[in-house]
Amino acid sequence: MDNKITEKKRVLRRRVRDFCEREIVPIAKEIDQEASFPWEVVDKMGKLGYFGIQAPPELGGAGMDTLSYTIVIEEISRACGALGLCTSVHNSVALFPILAFGSDEQKKRWAPSLARGEKIGAFCLTEPNAGSDASGIESTAIRDGDHYVVNANKALVTNGGVADTCLIFTRTDPEAGRRGISVIVVERDTTGFKTGDLENLMGMRANPVASIRLTDCRVPKENLLSKEGMGLKIGLAALDVGRIGIAAQAVGIAQAALEASVHYANQRHQFGVPIANHQAIQFMIADMATEIEASRLLVLQAAKLRDRNKPFSQESAMAKLFATETSSRVTDKAVQIHGGYGYSKSYPVERYYRDARITRIYEGTAEIHRMVIAKGVLQQY
Amino acid sequence: MKLNIIVCIKSTVLHASGVNIIRAPELSELNPFDLPVLETALLLKKKLGGSVTALSMGPQEAGASALCEALAMGVDKAVLLCDKALAGSDTLATSTALGAVIAKLDQFDLVLFGTRTCDSDTGHVGPQTATLLDLPFISNVNSIEQIDTGLRIERMLDEYMETYEISPPAALTIHPNSVQPRDISLMGIQEAFEKDKVKTMSLADIGLSPEQVGETGSGTKVLSMKQVSRKRICDFIEGTVEQQSDELLECLKKKGIIG
Ligand SMILES: Cc1cc2nc3c(=O)[nH]c(=O)nc-3n(C[C@H](O)[C@H](O)[C@H](O)COP(=O)(O)OP(=O)(O)OC[C@H]3O[C@@H](n4cnc5c(N)ncnc54)[C@H](O)[C@@H]3O)c2cc1C
Repeated sequence: MDNKITEKKRVLRRRVRDFCEREIVPIAKEIDQEASFPWEVVDKMGKLGYFGIQAPPELGGAGMDTLSYTIVIEEISRACGALGLCTSVHNSVALFPILAFGSDEQKKRWAPSLARGEKIGAFCLTEPNAGSDASGIESTAIRDGDHYVVNANKALVTNGGVADTCLIFTRTDPEAGRRGISVIVVERDTTGFKTGDLENLMGMRANPVASIRLTDCRVPKENLLSKEGMGLKIGLAALDVGRIGIAAQAVGIAQAALEASVHYANQRHQFGVPIANHQAIQFMIADMATEIEASRLLVLQAAKLRDRNKPFSQESAMAKLFATETSSRVTDKAVQIHGGYGYSKSYPVERYYRDARITRIYEGTAEIHRMVIAKGVLQQY
Repeated sequence: MKLNIIVCIKSTVLHASGVNIIRAPELSELNPFDLPVLETALLLKKKLGGSVTALSMGPQEAGASALCEALAMGVDKAVLLCDKALAGSDTLATSTALGAVIAKLDQFDLVLFGTRTCDSDTGHVGPQTATLLDLPFISNVNSIEQIDTGLRIERMLDEYMETYEISPPAALTIHPNSVQPRDISLMGIQEAFEKDKVKTMSLADIGLSPEQVGETGSGTKVLSMKQVSRKRICDFIEGTVEQQSDELLECLKKKGIIG
């Protein structure tokens, strides 16, 4: 049985890699430079199940486990960080909360089109005055008969420019502090829904990250996910899963940087030999490979715990912290190995370097992760 | 006319270090030349109805994995012929074994093969199996179309296209460039590996004795295998861009690389 699982993962990785190398790698540079969202490829990815990796088959998904999910996200990110971000956020923090906290009715309504990639999901927590401190959000959703009237100003929303189904974190009870936060699903075609200009980002440029503003949006009360006041609980549960995906994304970007560096080091000659013969380069390559492997194992551990229904929050935070910092270090070394050409857009490593940088910030900054991890560890002994 | 199609596929070895090849699953991959064959069969089924059965001879894990890929692409059934006595089979013994399985399977109209494999490159197995089964055979097939009297088959040669007519049953090898194989969906992979649909058969099941296959059943024996590295030389072509491209074209033509 174990062998069969191993075989499945191997075939999965190989086939996803095949697809990404044929369809995504050739356009990755262009969509980064032009900051354009590649609809054509996204449509294909949708048909292949990349937007419903863990959703059950009866709701249009592939019904895979978390481990498979991390393999798919790693491989997409190895080709293009921005599409890794798009699929990671869509699968984990947009679709997963609907599956985990939605009623049967809500699942039937939203999950199939999301799982098939016909609609794109977004997770709208951050606001101009609320980043790391999610409880600081100011959006409101005030009950009016069978509707909520939602007013929200959401910032830095991944997929924001294209998302149809948006999870809005908002205050249904402005007096109740942390307990007054709820999640309301708002669809793009709702009157009063407006997307701001796309952010002109340093990396992940092919992802249409944008602000979303809701002005007096009347949303049926049936769009409330779970119950009023459950917002932070849903958010934290989603981010626990999401972080495994971001960690896998960071591993994928780092892996691409390592492979590019190995090719370059073998082919570039200085002082009469390939630079790969210089010990200084070898040591960088050794550290890069070792840290990537360690990150991948942390991701694997978190994913396996989740698949076994064991607590995985701490492990997911550790995987995210370590893998994202690894990704920054590895892509930095990749630029160094490429010398001056690494700083040029003629080679892909400068893109990896830019893409890797944000993984240490979104879905919880490294600082917040250290606080969370420390809290757990300090209680443990 | 519905077509019941058997597609023979192989789990190929990615790296070989000597004569004794290790067929471990982590070092194996479904022969890339078999992917267009599976695609051809699936397209025919979609158009005409019928069924597609993938058949492979090989070790348990690597063979089952290749068959699961075929199932993930959409074939209906998967059969693995697996037996210790098959180890060391050359292409003749392989064809003997595949022919015996095919003879045991349900009625079929077409048996399809890849033109060759990426790890041995003989191109023998398709034509040999066809001969052993006494089936009409066409190689390098580019397209298959149904007509009143049977099937119209187009076959690619370097710069020519031959058109044939056959009436099934028949055996064909499919040209690797004839069709772009589909991408395998995550749903396909999940289902193929979760549902145990690969049927395993042994030599006894197909009525062959161990002597008919393996090394004793083989007509040839590999004595040695070693890597040959070709010397690479670097020539500089000079002149204007036009002159350089003309000279490059001439040089490639002389070497027979382009026609
Ligand atoms: C490309 C991109 C995509 C994004 N996608 C989404 C999305 O889809 N949905 C969404 O809701 N948000 C998204 N974000 C927003 C992202 O999650 C936030 O930027 C992040 O949570 C940090 O919040 P902030 O930017 O407000 O920084 P702040 O919270 O203001 O942090 C600034 C600095 O202070 C530190 N800091 C804050 N509090 C503490 C503390 N208590 N102790 C120590 N240090 C502290 C931080 O670690 C950081 O270094 C995205 C951002 C980007 C750039």
